[in-house]
Amino acid sequence: MSIPGLGHISAQQASLPSTRTLTLHPFSEWRFQISPTSTATCRLLSGTAERDGTELAQTKTYNITRCRSKIVTFTGATLEITGEFESEHVKHYPHSADSPFVAYLNLHFLLQARRSQSSSGSGHGPRVMICGPPASGKSSLAKMLIGWATRQGEQPVLATVDPRDGMLALPGTLSAAVFATVMDVEDPEGGVGVGCTPSSGPSAVPVKLPVGYYFGRERVEDDEGLWKDLVRRLGSSVRAKTGGDQGVRRGGVVVDTPAVEVRKGEVKVKGEDGEEERERGGGVEGLMHVIREFAVNIVIVLGSPDLEAELRRRDRKTPLGEPIEIVNLDKPDGVVEQDRQHLLSSRKALIKDYFFGDSKRALSPSVQSFSFDDVVIFRAVDAMDLDDPNQVLERAEISEEMSHWTLAVMDASVNDPLETIRQAPVIGWVCVSDVDKDRRRLKILSTVSGRLTRPMVWGRWPEPYVNLLG
Amino acid sequence: MEDHGEEVAADFREALQDLTTNARFEIVTLTNIARENADHGLAISEVLTNHIKEAPASKTLPALYVLDSIVKNVPTPYALYFGPKLYQIFMGSYTKVDNATRRKMDEMLKTWKEPVAGSISKKPVFPLELVRPIENALLAARNAYMEQAKFQTHLMRGRPAGPPARDTPTPPMGRAYQPPPPPPHGQPPYQGPPNGQYPPPGEQAYPMRSGNTPNGVPNHATPPQPPPSAEPYAHYQPPPNQGPYGVPPAPGINIDKLKDDIQQLIELDRAGFAQNMHDASKQNRLKALLDLQKVVQSQNLPQEQLMIISDQVAKLAVNMRAAQAQPPPSYPPALPPPYNTHTPTPPVVTQQFAPPPVAAAAPPPSVLPQLPAVLAAALGRPASNVAPLPVAAAPPPPVRPATTAGGAASGTLSLDAILGQGALAALLAAKKPATPQQSSTAPVPPAAAVPPALAALRSPPQQAAPFQPPPAPPVAQQQPPAAAANPLTQNPSALLAMLRQSGLLGGTPGVPTLPPAIPSLPPPDPNIITLTPSSLKFPRLHLLSYLLDHLGPPCSQCGRRFPITEEGRKKKTQHMDWHFRVHQRVAGAEQRGQHRSQFVSELDWIQSHEEPDVDYNAPSGGGGSGDGDGSESDDNDWSAAVKGGRRKKNEKKKRWITAPDEGDGTGTGTNKVCPICQEKFQSRYLEEVQDWVWMDAVVVGSGQGRRVFHGTCWDEVNTGGGGGGQGQGTMVMLGNSNNKRKMEEDGGGEGEEEVRGGIKRLMR
Repeated sequence: MSIPGLGHISAQQASLPSTRTLTLHPFSEWRFQISPTSTATCRLLSGTAERDGTELAQTKTYNITRCRSKIVTFTGATLEITGEFESEHVKHYPHSADSPFVAYLNLHFLLQARRSQSSSGSGHGPRVMICGPPASGKSSLAKMLIGWATRQGEQPVLATVDPRDGMLALPGTLSAAVFATVMDVEDPEGGVGVGCTPSSGPSAVPVKLPVGYYFGRERVEDDEGLWKDLVRRLGSSVRAKTGGDQGVRRGGVVVDTPAVEVRKGEVKVKGEDGEEERERGGGVEGLMHVIREFAVNIVIVLGSPDLEAELRRRDRKTPLGEPIEIVNLDKPDGVVEQDRQHLLSSRKALIKDYFFGDSKRALSPSVQSFSFDDVVIFRAVDAMDLDDPNQVLERAEISEEMSHWTLAVMDASVNDPLETIRQAPVIGWVCVSDVDKDRRRLKILSTVSGRLTRPMVWGRWPEPYVNLLG
Repeated sequence: MEDHGEEVAADFREALQDLTTNARFEIVTLTNIARENADHGLAISEVLTNHIKEAPASKTLPALYVLDSIVKNVPTPYALYFGPKLYQIFMGSYTKVDNATRRKMDEMLKTWKEPVAGSISKKPVFPLELVRPIENALLAARNAYMEQAKFQTHLMRGRPAGPPARDTPTPPMGRAYQPPPPPPHGQPPYQGPPNGQYPPPGEQAYPMRSGNTPNGVPNHATPPQPPPSAEPYAHYQPPPNQGPYGVPPAPGINIDKLKDDIQQLIELDRAGFAQNMHDASKQNRLKALLDLQKVVQSQNLPQEQLMIISDQVAKLAVNMRAAQAQPPPSYPPALPPPYNTHTPTPPVVTQQFAPPPVAAAAPPPSVLPQLPAVLAAALGRPASNVAPLPVAAAPPPPVRPATTAGGAASGTLSLDAILGQGALAALLAAKKPATPQQSSTAPVPPAAAVPPALAALRSPPQQAAPFQPPPAPPVAQQQPPAAAANPLTQNPSALLAMLRQSGLLGGTPGVPTLPPAIPSLPPPDPNIITLTPSSLKFPRLHLLSYLLDHLGPPCSQCGRRFPITEEGRKKKTQHMDWHFRVHQRVAGAEQRGQHRSQFVSELDWIQSHEEPDVDYNAPSGGGGSGDGDGSESDDNDWSAAVKGGRRKKNEKKKRWITAPDEGDGTGTGTNKVCPICQEKFQSRYLEEVQDWVWMDAVVVGSGQGRRVFHGTCWDEVNTGGGGGGQGQGTMVMLGNSNNKRKMEEDGGGEGEEEVRGGIKRLMR
């Protein structure tokens, strides 16, 4: 006799969540990793503590799941923790001066001083780009700088041009958003997950409204031309935003970039397939492109003096005529490169959150059936058979192959030029749940019901999520 | 009376839907509703059954607790009604909830096999033949799983098999839910243990009051008492687990609630009385309380009298909330606990210091002379000539005669004293989880009754290590006047005394209820940090305060900080209101079903404006724009923000008004056809605001001259006249009046989206 839903009871019972109290000294970190299937809770009993720059409320119980993150205290704190962790430990520095957070905090206060100064000058707050090799803590630092600035009442823009991140969007998207409100401490992505974007209902943590451009690839080098175009689009949107809003202008911009590695003496890194020398993550040229498009005036390099030197070599002035300042900070220890499995599962979780919501709000997406003729789906043409430079997209042939893929819905009209469609902002995603070739119908999971009149783009990443409907 | 039954059922359903947490208060209220309406028990039980069946997983447990509470308190007729459906209800819920909740359900299931704690009846809550099948099913499912995977630890075996369930007639929730008091006819629970075994909370709270003049010892040092009700449990109460919303606002004159509160007082007093039978004052008070209860229950008191009684009771509830709200700042991160500073403690503190063990352990030397008095007070030998306290001195006059009729024999005792004692009710409500149950097997030593207080006292040493940034940064030294300007920051004890006087501080030396004193820091010198690795790595810990204390105390809900300034307070109020509204709306939205919104277009993103906690209220007036009535859309910050932004850029963008309700007065004065095109306005449901609206409608004028137009028609007329059009208004003109129809008809499910599309088309 088996009752549905009772399957895992004993497994959970085996390790009853025990409540523990954790005392953290000033400037120590509690690092943890929680699997997607379990939930842990964390409560701040005394002192102050924060995750990714956002302070924890006293005595509020936070539910954390599916993430690898850390909680930091600068003043000392007592935490009450329940639940099971894949791994966890407290990182304590004998001298607080050893903590990388000293430099990060100083950086924040420096940015804050620049913001104050900007009021009397151009009004433009600092535009910061954070770059470095893989697993150097770029995204963490970006989130912290944003979180701290928000706490002090600023309204900075966080932009990511790393297609793997998917900030407030699904992976494969370059996006930006203004952060003026508290970030969600419980969000697995540290407040920048797609779960923090607006839904039709209320949200206990203020939602963030992003603008995003669909890249549809995992690595910049897969389609560098498109990436540069989209960075340009994103940069100009952010510029327009900062131009029109004084508060945002003062808050400045923090740009998170794809990992770029520079080995001694050589700028280029051999492509993984070895067939062609390509620069990983767009390389230094890619970074220079970001610097130009976002008018970056402060470059933070994490743990790569070589990259710093390489960037310095090309040093120049911003479009506003300011000098570009470059500084290299040590890469914090303890940052681990996320293994593929973990990345894959968090990508899937993001897709699920997007359609079905997270633990805090259950969303009801709709599954609808469409005729092949009702929908317009494009796909990027392979660079190989590119004869006509304007032929950047082609109508995708609808086949079973498309099942379980997530398609981006573009804010454009189906009759727009292909280039316009390709560079249009994303207004959402749908997931092809089933293709019936004989009856020429396909089932599509979308956030809201209604006709799909917008053109959709079938990217090559993130990979299909087979069990989404489950 | 069938109609009435339906009404009751509908009300009950509504109340259930608002139940999102295990708030004891709400569960008690629901239980009382069920009790009062036992005539319609069948309808109520059906409503509850359906609710449990349909509720999302997160709301299932509270609903089950309601069932549990109803069945235990009003077994007849509810046990009969729920019995046949028990298996379905329980198993249906069990399959949808998570494991933590399942454990709670297991505990609850156990209690169903036993008699209600404190009840005379020895019959189990539900007949065993109803509970058994559930247990068997659970066991079978578990076994099936265990055979599969060889896990040995087991839900049932992991626990001692016997009496422990008796400790928890309903599962202890750690939060707020506690089995409501047994029905009046039941045996009061606290009479079992030997006298003086453990003081129930009331016992501790009570002497504080009488401690003013224990045994006639005059106490010169006592300043005018702030409202006593707020004080006693300020230090009982460890920072509560539940947010301010755990306790719903006290309703106006809810007689059920009033009765319940009085009932709580009686329970408490009985407990005290059982412990100290020789105390005449207790006996009298209890008697008076019972009289009051009789009066409230039996007579139909006029509303205003009820109002006064319930006002007093409500005040207590409010005070309790205020006291609960206080603790959060009570762990000042950067300040050592007050008693570490050897600040002479004002004597008033001693009065608050009731729990004997604590009192003996902690008072600073300066208060030692008072200790005997405190102990006497704590031991529960209050003088009978209790001086009426300021708060208690405002009696509810209309009720007074009624009560004194019963309690006249008690002489000095009056109802005011009782209502002053209402603090006990509040205290009871807050403290109950720690109160030992009658059926508790182990005798509880006195100290066990005060763990929260002790815990609160012990916690500061644990965090005695808090890192304290150098309070006077080099920069600050250049501006001593800033600090000197505020003498309070110079003299912490003066600050303490002031706060205590204002009733903000609980005033127990051991409990760090001191909000962090905000040093008036000057803005940091912009040039002290340069963008070089060496400068960035130089620790400047004093700056940390700018991210923490300097920003003011944090919000208990989300940790956002607000400065202690006039403006900061205003913002915080706004912020808390926002939390409150969101909390309210979350429940409603769940039922309606929500979906992820589509992202906005580039243009809308650029024009959107993030404004924390600010709801969008349409500014009134302005040619072509509505007067904004009913257009608050606060459910969702971004939409409000986007609209606010759009509004700033282009007033033409707001194109809907809330459809006037023809039932009430607002609808009567509104025209139903557009005066320009003579077409009727179409009502439709807009997800974004979750209300019925007229799309493409604007309100022009106010009062008698108030007219509703189609936005497109209005624009056409006005821009045509060269008047109201501004900038992009002309572009709107380029569309033809068919736009309006288009906007109305496009709709379907994609409303919000299509409207945006429509707007966008208009923009082009």
